Amino acid sequence: MADEFAKGFTILVTAGLAWLTLAGWYNTPSFEGQQLTGADPTSGLTVYDQVALVLKDALFWFAILGFVTFVVVIPAIRKLREAYEGTPEVPE
Amino acid sequence: MSDNDNNTDIDEGDGPTADGSGIVAPDDETPTWSERKERSQGLSRLTYEYFERARREDQDLRVESDYVERDVLAFPAWPHEMVRNLALTSFFVGMTVFLAAAMPMHIGAPANPSNTPAVILPDWYLYWSFGLLKLGPLNPDLALLGGQKLMADRTYGVLANLVVVGFISIVPFLNKGAARRPVEQPFWAAVGVSGVVYAITISALSVKNLLPMDSHLLFDLTFLLPIVGACISYAVFKSMREGYMFELNRRYYRLRPPK
Repeated sequence: MADEFAKGFTILVTAGLAWLTLAGWYNTPSFEGQQLTGADPTSGLTVYDQVALVLKDALFWFAILGFVTFVVVIPAIRKLREAYEGTPEVPE
Repeated sequence: MSDNDNNTDIDEGDGPTADGSGIVAPDDETPTWSERKERSQGLSRLTYEYFERARREDQDLRVESDYVERDVLAFPAWPHEMVRNLALTSFFVGMTVFLAAAMPMHIGAPANPSNTPAVILPDWYLYWSFGLLKLGPLNPDLALLGGQKLMADRTYGVLANLVVVGFISIVPFLNKGAARRPVEQPFWAAVGVSGVVYAITISALSVKNLLPMDSHLLFDLTFLLPIVGACISYAVFKSMREGYMFELNRRYYRLRPPK
């Protein structure tokens, strides 16, 4: 379980940092305005900017879903399998 | 080991040696038959096997290792400690450099020294002290003084700071227990939780004119939420004591040195 938590946590912080950086570039209109949650820019986008916007959304959901997968889903599946097969519960 | 230092001609002393011999307990520590029976089943059996296996692994490592056992039980600073320290240092330096390069700090317009801003606030970590200055409704007015308050609200706020700082300073003397886990002492853990919640709520009270809620409700919640948090955490910690792992861990943590 500790291994799975480390994997999920690594995904969360690494992808989260990359998302934070991209959102800081593209979704923070001003220092005193919205932070990281502003609207996406629409005009004057180069190819790199468009790639970065797609990557930003992908990293955001990778951070969330990756963390949930390794910390919640996989341990839950193991517990369910243990219960289904009737093996004694292993304290973690 | 150490008591044989001046007897160089005697190689085999009573204490444990690096090859694992001499681990048999002395006569006065040999378990009785009832003690042997007590750990022959259930949780006590599991605990015994756990520590026996840990001891055996430790012994095997000592036998395999060429490390010279010394009286001081520790790792040398180089490389063991320094590798960890350098890894942590590199991480935080790298994070600072990365954030400074990727998202440089915004430098605003110069402040106008002749104009006080509409909202003045200390740094966030001093909000609690700022909030204590807004406890005016708690300042009792005494009828003896003809309806006048005993002290001004701002004096009262400053004295409230002294009360909070005084309470924090006596915390080490309130409970000097050796507990390292909240479940071992639910009451004191609940006191700690209420303190943390109060730090948050009193900070929120200091910015009450910025929060989108009724300031009277906020004032009441400032003192109600710490009590609610203490009750909830006490119930949670108390119920956690019932678990299987608590019994197992308590045996383990009993090995720590006394307070």
